[in-house]
Amino acid sequence: MGDVVSFFLLCTVHQIVSLTGINFSTRSIIGFVELTILPQKDNIRHVRLNAKQCRIYKVSLNASLEAPFQYFDPTLEVSQGATKNQYDLETFSECHLSGCNLVDPDLNGGELNIKIPSEAYALDYIGINKPLKIQVEFSLVEPQGGIHFVIPENPLQNCEVSGEGAASAAGGSASATPSPASTVSLAERGAHMYTCGHENSSRLWFPCIDTLSELCTWKLEFTVDESMTAVSCGDLVETVYTHDMKRKTFHYVVDTPTAAPNIALVVGPFEIYVDPNMHEVTHFCLPHLLPVLKATVRWVHETFEFMETVLNSRFPYTNYKQVFVDEAYTDHTCFSSLSILSTTLLHSSAVVDQVYETRKIGAHALACQYYGCFITTEKWSDLWLRKGISRYLAGLFVKKFFGNNEYRQMIHQQMEQVIKYEEKYGGIILDSSVPPKSTVPAGARGEAHREVQIQENPFAFPPSNVNTCSPEYLEIMALKSHLSIRMLENRIGAQQLLQVLNKQLSLATTASQTKNNPAAWDNMVLNTSTFSKSIFMVTGKDMNVFFDQWIRSGGHARFHMEFVFNMKRNTVEMQINQDAASQGMRGIRKYVGPLTVAVQELDGWFSYTFPIENIHSKHDITCHSKSRRNKKKKIPLCNNEEVDMDLSAMDDSPVLWIRIDPDMQLVRSLDIQQPDFQWQYQLRHERDVTAQSEAARALERFPSLASRKALIDMIEDEKCFYRVRGLATHCLAKVANSMASNSDGPPPLLMIFKKMFGSFAASHIIKQNDFSNLQSYFLQKELPVAMAKLRNVQGICPPEVLKFLLDLFKYNDNSKSNFSDNYYRAALVDALGETVTPVVSMVQNELGSSITADSLSPDTKAILEEVTRYLNLEKLLPSYKYTVTLSCLKTLRKLQKQGHLPSSPILFKDYGKYGQFIDVRLSALECFVDHVRMEGNFKDISHLLNLVETDPDPYVRHKICRFMIENPPFDRARHHRNDKPELVERLWNFMNSGFWYDSRLRCDIVDLYFELYGRKMPVCIPLPELAALQPKKVDKPKGSANREKKSSFIIPKAEKRKMEEIIRPDAIPAEFAHALPPVNREMVAADIPDYFSMDDPEPGPSHHVGQPAKKSHLEVENAAVELAAGSAELSLETKEKHHKHRREKKSKKEKKKHKKEKKSKSKEHKKKHKKEKKHTSEDQMHSSSVMGSSGAHSKMMPGGMTDGGQALSSDSSTPSTGNSPIHSTM
Amino acid sequence: MILSASGISNSSNSLPDPSVTEDSYRKCLKMGVANILSEVGFDSTTPLALETLCELFQSFLGELGRSSRAYTELACRAHPLHADVLLALIEMGVPTEGLSAYAFRPGRKSLANPQPAPPIKQTSILHTGDRPASSRSKARQAGGDFLPELPDSHAFVRTPTHKQPVTDYVGVREKAASQKRDVERALTRFIAKTGQTHSLFSTNDTNLFPLISPERLMPDQPLLPAYINALLFKDQVFEEDEREFQPKKKKEDDPLDDSDDDDPPPPVPTTEKMKSSDPIDSDSDEEVKVEPPPSAAVVPVQESPVKRNRREHDGVIENPFLKPVRMPRTTATPVKRAL
Repeated sequence: MGDVVSFFLLCTVHQIVSLTGINFSTRSIIGFVELTILPQKDNIRHVRLNAKQCRIYKVSLNASLEAPFQYFDPTLEVSQGATKNQYDLETFSECHLSGCNLVDPDLNGGELNIKIPSEAYALDYIGINKPLKIQVEFSLVEPQGGIHFVIPENPLQNCEVSGEGAASAAGGSASATPSPASTVSLAERGAHMYTCGHENSSRLWFPCIDTLSELCTWKLEFTVDESMTAVSCGDLVETVYTHDMKRKTFHYVVDTPTAAPNIALVVGPFEIYVDPNMHEVTHFCLPHLLPVLKATVRWVHETFEFMETVLNSRFPYTNYKQVFVDEAYTDHTCFSSLSILSTTLLHSSAVVDQVYETRKIGAHALACQYYGCFITTEKWSDLWLRKGISRYLAGLFVKKFFGNNEYRQMIHQQMEQVIKYEEKYGGIILDSSVPPKSTVPAGARGEAHREVQIQENPFAFPPSNVNTCSPEYLEIMALKSHLSIRMLENRIGAQQLLQVLNKQLSLATTASQTKNNPAAWDNMVLNTSTFSKSIFMVTGKDMNVFFDQWIRSGGHARFHMEFVFNMKRNTVEMQINQDAASQGMRGIRKYVGPLTVAVQELDGWFSYTFPIENIHSKHDITCHSKSRRNKKKKIPLCNNEEVDMDLSAMDDSPVLWIRIDPDMQLVRSLDIQQPDFQWQYQLRHERDVTAQSEAARALERFPSLASRKALIDMIEDEKCFYRVRGLATHCLAKVANSMASNSDGPPPLLMIFKKMFGSFAASHIIKQNDFSNLQSYFLQKELPVAMAKLRNVQGICPPEVLKFLLDLFKYNDNSKSNFSDNYYRAALVDALGETVTPVVSMVQNELGSSITADSLSPDTKAILEEVTRYLNLEKLLPSYKYTVTLSCLKTLRKLQKQGHLPSSPILFKDYGKYGQFIDVRLSALECFVDHVRMEGNFKDISHLLNLVETDPDPYVRHKICRFMIENPPFDRARHHRNDKPELVERLWNFMNSGFWYDSRLRCDIVDLYFELYGRKMPVCIPLPELAALQPKKVDKPKGSANREKKSSFIIPKAEKRKMEEIIRPDAIPAEFAHALPPVNREMVAADIPDYFSMDDPEPGPSHHVGQPAKKSHLEVENAAVELAAGSAELSLETKEKHHKHRREKKSKKEKKKHKKEKKSKSKEHKKKHKKEKKHTSEDQMHSSSVMGSSGAHSKMMPGGMTDGGQALSSDSSTPSTGNSPIHSTM
Repeated sequence: MILSASGISNSSNSLPDPSVTEDSYRKCLKMGVANILSEVGFDSTTPLALETLCELFQSFLGELGRSSRAYTELACRAHPLHADVLLALIEMGVPTEGLSAYAFRPGRKSLANPQPAPPIKQTSILHTGDRPASSRSKARQAGGDFLPELPDSHAFVRTPTHKQPVTDYVGVREKAASQKRDVERALTRFIAKTGQTHSLFSTNDTNLFPLISPERLMPDQPLLPAYINALLFKDQVFEEDEREFQPKKKKEDDPLDDSDDDDPPPPVPTTEKMKSSDPIDSDSDEEVKVEPPPSAAVVPVQESPVKRNRREHDGVIENPFLKPVRMPRTTATPVKRAL
């Protein structure tokens, strides 16, 4: 990496962040940032920083010289000036990607462009490796993203004027300070704030270079109210009172080089709990929660020990902090030596189910400290490493602490999720920066004939920048990364992989201890190629084939297996097909390589590895067992256990069962054809939980007495893994339903339940709860739900089952138990919901309009009785996390849906209001979304969108979108009554300009838009004339962005700030650098002064056109005037922000040179010639300038982007506009 | 006559026995009068007439008593004799001959003795068992008359006071379950009636399945954030052994002064005394309560990873968050700073 360093334009070595005015009542922050940078060349002209929604007052160099600056953020309004006819996602995603790339610091972008004034040279501030300090003063007022203030209502205020408090809390205008007598202090109310965001969002709260690859050391100072605690990264050096003794300042020092996105801050009246086993670990929680905090974090030291042992490496930081906050952005977010977790993860020691989840999340958060915070990744295409390795480590923790079964089950589940997503949307490419090699040397691992097809982006969004990716995609990608790392573990061995990780960690640790030497810190930044290199160095194995196959190309494999036993030859003739791949099904690709097949015969378990080369491949397996059933002998299994089996079900073949890829070494889906008795044997005797669950599911297709018996035996088998038993209950319900017509007698599940949990004296009365055996606890929870799925011949739930369930409610007695039964009770309510079948007598009720309490059937009444009682009781005696309420709401919705109750959303609306517990809200909103789909009117959709727009809790906003995507209000292009142009308009505005502050939410809306309208124009928008379509093509920088999207394989997106970058307008892939005209570099470098001299004397002609923005935090003034007038006018009291984005420009000479090309290009836009990829740089410059100029036409952007855009267009595009035909239309 | 003169004379003065009231005398009188009337041949009477006759009779009796008493006292006696009554009768002009014949007349209807009113049972409240007869006699058998009476039998005889509990398992479970359910139902119904509810049905008239609205119930309660109730659930109470989570030597004996958390911080800037815990909110004052090590005033050097061993031996937790807040540097006592 050493040679690369010299290409960096500059690197940060140290940064000071000082937030002095953190004000809860006005939700504002005043701050100061000082970056110490080392320029890597001596003629540096400007520095770009990331800063969003900050109001910048002043920028100075070395604390003495004020520097002019400009502000431009293309992501504020993505597609500028798009008319209604252009509301299609294709256009949007191009603009979105180019906008995000423009401010991506990895691509040398940034919103804040600071010009180094010539005085700086005069004062000799600039020099190679000469530290230059850049000070920025800024403030934030009512930040919309990045920082979240949680300010509960004032209870006393609420008493006096009910509703007023709620309004102020929601509206964020609680600034009117009421008289002290009537207020409860913020600390007592539990007000707190924390920084949050999607991937790299530090720019939302302080100016920085917001990329994971830019490391530096930090000094952090936060002045907060004396009742509050400020928790941040690094070591707390000291806490000092201010002079008035009303506030105190927390001083933190981060000695380990850390990237800006890994810096965070939490302020609140926290209770502090130092881990009794490890004093360097501190836990924080909100007031009143200390007891549950203590119960929750009991195990944390064990996780530490585990991680340190596994990685054979000390925890990289000197301390670790866990803060549990309310309204968390995600359930856990990791920062350097600090994790922000959701307060809903806390649990008392009487709770069972939450423990699993909390520990897994806690372990993952800790693993992220190693990979993600300490070792970061370089580009977005390397994201998979960070996500995958941390998940892999967390997976090892699961294996150790919850057992191998749990681990395998988890892997299996994750694989299913990945497969499901890929088949729905398309194959995920983990690292798309480098295309897979087209030719592999022949004979290399049998993958010689793999043809490489350049895969088109199958998604509706550009996946190459993390800020444009759908959150669901990122989630699934993380899972796939985990699976890929696990595959790697299979290939090189677990120990070897850990050695690789250990090597990286020790290199990084050494690197982190060298101070002030950014070059040495490269070892702390991973990328795919260094990762594969270090694998090679440690293990001597070249994994490039693997990387090409699984990392650099997308999709998964699907195998269809059939076999025939040839008795004459005593062989199994097996055929493995990949028809789905040859048919080009979405997300599936052809797999070429080794495949493991395991055959259980009478004589034992045999594993084979077959090379898979074609779509159809045939293999003959000679059986070891010649004679069958001649002797009664024990049959050895794969774990050398010998068991007796009842072999009467078998036919002539000695094969008991066959499995493909038993160890989940590939990301694959399987379709195995074997007769039912083989599945039964597999279920009964295979020791692997994934095989068992696959067998249980397969048996659903074979309803027979034998299947039923096998499933029942499985459920009753104490030695079996509890999750498999739980799964078997559901499968048994399905099998029993299929056999309902020809079976009588009590339902099998009922009998099992009575046998296991019925009391001794009377089996219809359940025993008092005793959850000390967790296996039976989980089964006890699962059985009633499965039981409720039983249906008799009439298709309704058998009355005896319902009666039994009601008895379970009645006799539930938890007084002797040491654990809370809230999950069990919730499961019971769920079970009641499962019994509900569509009402038959709908017609009698005049279309259900007059469902009254009297017209209910007795069954429904009994169900309602229990549900209402439980729901009401929860108001007075809430259960843990209101689990019972959640189930009650779902059951009520089900009753409504099936026509037993009049469908009404009011209930769910009320439960979904802000102020309810988050889980309750989400559950209610999910029901509400379901209602909207079935019979909602447009008002209901508007209500949901209002919540998405204005709800104080960012996670709820995100989740509402996800619910609406899962369960869209109407199907695409069906002319639904709610499919209105207003909705298109609204959603478009959300994603185009509304949610600039939260890329997760913006991408959620993109997903929703895709779900509702697809990629093309929404159908409900009246088709414009063809002529109207034409200008669009010219109007947009479509050509360039299109090419960029097309070529997403070829262009590495994250070439870091190299020296060329200053002279090239944008990222140019290294491998194409040679393709540029050789004169390019020198000329442009020489022309840089031009760039500034150009824009200085040319003020934007219409810089007052745009009104000052409605959002006050981004005030605008014409930056060009400021630049011309010099820095004196950038005084503090004007408090304005100059946002102007400026791309480097080429000289006029250069422009002229390329003029002809451009002209031809614009004509050939639609054809998108491949050769033009070479000119991406120019195109991006184009796009930037075009976007800038179109900014002048945009209606209104938050932060008054119009002016900035205008200014930009005036100066930066001047040389090109005249030449470019693109602009002639504007 | 059955009614003794003394009883009547006493009646007007005082009522020592609460069970004997004016009303009961009157009732007896009325019965006597009615009896005579029916004997004479009346079939019925109006209440007014009966009442008038009673009144007449009562005043006659009263006068008779008064007069007899006067004669008695005149003869310096305390109790009237037969003669005194006769004199009084004669004086009142009532012929006395034939009186005894009238009294023993053949067709005379006799009235039952007035039943003592049930409140006389009063004794049974205080005494248990068959005390008046048996306990006394037993006591006499045991000791003799000179001994005091034994107390009530319940004081020394163990009597089963409850029924044998139902041992039938099904019955017990059934009873416990239905009791629990009834209590829950009554409670929820009550709350549902007193507060805002949701109706599951479009017609609002039915209140068969009222759902308590999720809006906060009682406005006078301190309004806690929703997560508090959710995490500190109340549906069951578990006795957790908190001690197991406690650090081994954490000092819990520090007096917690929760009362003064509203006071402005009274720092003493001139001394290094670490009183900084006072201004901390009561919820979080544990953080600084743990006594700092004596060397806390010294510059807190950042620990090197090597030095940072997991130490628990000295009982002092070295955690920067537990360290006291430092005074500002410009106050009277300058403090050394780390950086």
